[in-house]
Amino acid sequence: MKAKKYLPFIPVFVAYLALFLIGETVSGIWQLIAMLAFYCALGQAFNLFMGMTGYVDFGYVAFLGVGTYGMAITISKLYSHGLGFGLIAIGFALAIVMSVLLSLAVGAVALRLRGAYFAIATIGVNEGFRYLIEGAKLWNGSEGIIFSGPLRMAFGRQTATVLTTFAADVFVFIIALAAAFITLVYMRGKVGYALTALREDEDAAKVMGINVTKYKIIAFITSAALAGLLGASAWALKLTYVYPPDVFEITYTVEAIIIVLLGGAGTLLGPIVGGLVYGLSKYLLAIILPGFQLLIFAPVIIFIIVTFPEGLVGFVKLKTRGTWLENYIV
Amino acid sequence: MPLLSLRNVTKRFGGLVAVNNVSFDVEEGEMLAIVGPNGAGKTTLFNLINGVFLPDEGTIIFDGHDITRLPAFKRAPLGIGRTFQIPRPFSSATVRENIAIGAMFGAEGKKTSVDRAMEIADHYIDLIGLSEHRDKPAGGLTPVEKKLVEIARALAMKPKLLLMDEAMAGMNPKDIDYIVDFVRKVRDEEKIAIVAMVEHIMRAVANLAERVVVMHQGAKLVDEETEKALTDKRVIEVYLGKPPEEKNAEG
Repeated sequence: MKAKKYLPFIPVFVAYLALFLIGETVSGIWQLIAMLAFYCALGQAFNLFMGMTGYVDFGYVAFLGVGTYGMAITISKLYSHGLGFGLIAIGFALAIVMSVLLSLAVGAVALRLRGAYFAIATIGVNEGFRYLIEGAKLWNGSEGIIFSGPLRMAFGRQTATVLTTFAADVFVFIIALAAAFITLVYMRGKVGYALTALREDEDAAKVMGINVTKYKIIAFITSAALAGLLGASAWALKLTYVYPPDVFEITYTVEAIIIVLLGGAGTLLGPIVGGLVYGLSKYLLAIILPGFQLLIFAPVIIFIIVTFPEGLVGFVKLKTRGTWLENYIV
Repeated sequence: MPLLSLRNVTKRFGGLVAVNNVSFDVEEGEMLAIVGPNGAGKTTLFNLINGVFLPDEGTIIFDGHDITRLPAFKRAPLGIGRTFQIPRPFSSATVRENIAIGAMFGAEGKKTSVDRAMEIADHYIDLIGLSEHRDKPAGGLTPVEKKLVEIARALAMKPKLLLMDEAMAGMNPKDIDYIVDFVRKVRDEEKIAIVAMVEHIMRAVANLAERVVVMHQGAKLVDEETEKALTDKRVIEVYLGKPPEEKNAEG
């Protein structure tokens, strides 16, 4: 019974492993694979909140943004202390702390609101934070932080290159796996059932004894912490600079929403399928019809969402109910 | 000491007094029906007891705790269960999960693991006779089945007091008898006090309740044993208006 609960993690693990191995063996494809992994991880982290609670956070990218700053600040301030790989660990830790603090601040206000009102309240969060950084000249203000130099000085040229071109992407895979695993643990525990209840009917959930605010905040903080880690690796470590307009760009929030909806909100495999479909079509359309990708992409997404309102994985999940596959497709 | 006691409870919505200075007690294991025409304040009264609304005046004591200002989610673990007028199961969750959620967060929720909650759910599924729908999403059930799932979900919370909001509305007599029998059986086994709210299905009231509280325009009109209450002149007046001979006599 206990082990059976975690069977759905097998296809998740296999999918990420396959993606990783393809990237490793096929030459010249690593950047594409890294992009796909980023989209999958983004979806996986976002799904933990949006998919499980039914709340849409339009300011989500702000958590990635402050996570990026967490890593950037750590490396640019502490590079000369001879911390070795402890520097990266501290960077990730600071990324988590900063994104969790921001999520507490946003959540304390916005999570009191329901449905659409929550979405509206969060729309300005990323822009607001960006203007705060630029206006208050926080963390170097609008100039951002460039830390490729400090990174080289801390680790040496060779290690720094490995960190930015390979390790940063591997961290993304690990974050995606961690996000999927936490999602599954939540799903199989009381947290998941409480979230299902409040997603379906918040008032009924309260009357059933569920502290809805507590569970919403649990999902929100977890999702934000994973976003912070993702920013710290996929943006900070990989690019070695942080520039406010880049990391508080609302496009990433919209992409996260699309990925979750394409794959199936609240499903475990959804973000992988959604991330791959979205990432690959974006990549291919940019090659085949450069400049027209958005024009074609929009109807494609509308078509998928109209045909499979439960998302691609949600659709398959309903079809496989009662068969042996139901233990794996969740 | 009564299980539930309301003292001078009042709730206003702007200028409208939805519940006006209402007091009554519910004893442990009692079956009480709250009766009254549409708009009498029955649902508001329920919402005050389980914490959806907080009263403007008065106190509510449950099982020795003053719950007057306690939020809804803290009342359920004390042992207050509730079903809704229009059944509100969690549609995407299966029948089994729905009932298990009740067990997970109800009176014994803290010491009930997810696996244990599923076993409790199975027990109640067999009790309500929905075994073949165990793993179906609750959203796809018929209205009567949804109602049964909701009752089972509330029972899985192991309540001391179960509030049933219009449990019989929109059902045919056969279904009503089935649910009444079921509720009575469970009450006898588990010693749950049941407060059922009924608008006009007197068949259910007569078969189910030991005592009836009649509400009218927000206030308590009658609080009597079932037979006395249902034949009370004031109650008949509330539902049907004055009998013609009296009108004649007056005219």
